[in-house]
Amino acid sequence: MRLFVAGLRKLVRRPATWVTFGLLVGLLALIYLAVGATANQAGAGGGARQGKLLVTFPGAYTLLLSFILGLGGLFAMIYGAAVAGSEWTWGTLKAAVARGESRSRYQLVSFATIGLMVGIGLLVAFGIGIVVAVIAAGLASVPTTGLDDSATIQTFPDLLLRGWLALGEACALGFAIATLARSQLAGIGVGIAAYFGEQFARIFLPEIVQYLPFSAANAVVATTRTAAASGDPAASLARLEPNAALAVVALWLIGALVVTAIFTERAEISG
Amino acid sequence: MTDGLALATRGLQKRYGTRLALAGLDLSVPSGVVYGFLGPNGAGKTTTMRLLTGLIHPDAGSIEVLGRPFGRGDRRHLFDVGALIESPSFYPYLSARENLRSIAASGARTTRARIEELLELVGLRERARDKVQTYSLGMKQRLGIAAALLSDPQLLLLDEPSNGLDPAGIVAMREMLRQLAQSGTTVFVSSHILGEVEQLADVLGIIAAGRLVREGPIGDLLSGEGRVRVRVAPAEVAAARGILDALADGPTARVEGDDGWLTLAISGDRAAEVNRSLATAGIYASGVEAGNDLESLFLELTAGEDAASHEGTFFGAAGTGGSRPTGPGTAR
Repeated sequence: MRLFVAGLRKLVRRPATWVTFGLLVGLLALIYLAVGATANQAGAGGGARQGKLLVTFPGAYTLLLSFILGLGGLFAMIYGAAVAGSEWTWGTLKAAVARGESRSRYQLVSFATIGLMVGIGLLVAFGIGIVVAVIAAGLASVPTTGLDDSATIQTFPDLLLRGWLALGEACALGFAIATLARSQLAGIGVGIAAYFGEQFARIFLPEIVQYLPFSAANAVVATTRTAAASGDPAASLARLEPNAALAVVALWLIGALVVTAIFTERAEISG
Repeated sequence: MTDGLALATRGLQKRYGTRLALAGLDLSVPSGVVYGFLGPNGAGKTTTMRLLTGLIHPDAGSIEVLGRPFGRGDRRHLFDVGALIESPSFYPYLSARENLRSIAASGARTTRARIEELLELVGLRERARDKVQTYSLGMKQRLGIAAALLSDPQLLLLDEPSNGLDPAGIVAMREMLRQLAQSGTTVFVSSHILGEVEQLADVLGIIAAGRLVREGPIGDLLSGEGRVRVRVAPAEVAAARGILDALADGPTARVEGDDGWLTLAISGDRAAEVNRSLATAGIYASGVEAGNDLESLFLELTAGEDAASHEGTFFGAAGTGGSRPTGPGTAR
């Protein structure tokens, strides 16, 4: 428990935590406000319809969450890589091991603290996103009558838990890659390459890529409606059913943590 | 195998690829002493430290820490060990106090009072709230020593602890380590700063090319490494050499350069006897120096052991200089 609490304290103090969260929320706000401000100027085209759909409640809730999971997945992976890589780069893992701490326990507890921070970040970003979406709806002259749709609101716990798992998976991948590379930069670099590589490969190998981590994570909260409304050209391509995606995401997450634990246990620590 | 020893290794081997870093290291570190672990660059000091703290694992051989075997599954034995290995490791964005709290969250339990006590001990109390990234190398080193002392260890492993410290900091650290040893803590200090180790250590272990080449109480080691240097008129060097060789029961007097200095490998306590013998023979020394020289001992034991590990010209200059023993057998 003291390791967990110390881990949380480290993350709260860490500038990367706030920079990552700030970037996510900043981009979210920027895009939503831009959509809201331009929705009426775009005429009667498809872009305007999609823009208005983005800020039309209650559908806006799911779209917002999908948006957070898309961009947030990348940020969560970078964040996980940054935290894990720095333990090697700064030699702080070495210090803990030399004090007799269990290597795998240290890593798994570290990940648990990151997972909690990511969960809190998701909740706060979702809350801020709703506020921004309401403002954007006002700018786009879209009524917010669906804001208190109880049927949708009742799905929030399920959607947010799924979203948390999806972000946790991305985070665990970054964590595992940085652990294998023993470096922040290598972890972040390889993670970003994997993220965009998967987006690119989705065009050519959709049947395979749907099982890959980021695609599966996107499918966890996706519905037919959100996929169509997202405007993503790849949305019409193969996509796992949400519960199947959830299982795939859980496997990726567990696999990444197992690899991290085994590698750390066996690693020769220097530097 | 190790009664009365705080730390022992037997036949310790470690290989990195094709390079043999440790080739059967046998260390015996008595309890409650300051043990100076000396060796040239690349001799295996840091590898040994990593093995002793479980950061890496040996290919062969055994380690005993505080009387208990220390292997892969024995990490809890390190709860009684404090270590500063290579450079001190901290979160740069946290303060000194927060770093110590974070480190204290792993391994053995540590109270907050202990953290405050250590900040005071290493002289960082005033700067305890400043981020470590603003610290000088010496301050980080002091914080590293504080971190090593967090669990009030019975065995303290320090790798180049005076690195970056100013002269006052070195003196303070030396006094602190001596006090720890007096209170029963075993202090194992790896260094290549011979003067520092000579002032600090009770027992010495010298490693070269991954093997222990000498170990024992520093007094005993240096008493066997005495030097008496005398200066006579250049014209009398040959005659003086004959007299000195007779004193040492063998041809051991070396002529240094052409300014009349001769070095005799006998105990420094016999300097007066040397002077008297020369005077009796009608040779009057214009200078006599006596001493037990760790530097000479170190160079003698380590020169040529692993030439590949000594890079650059410094070693060559030291090893071939006229006033230094150049290899085993030269002065023994």
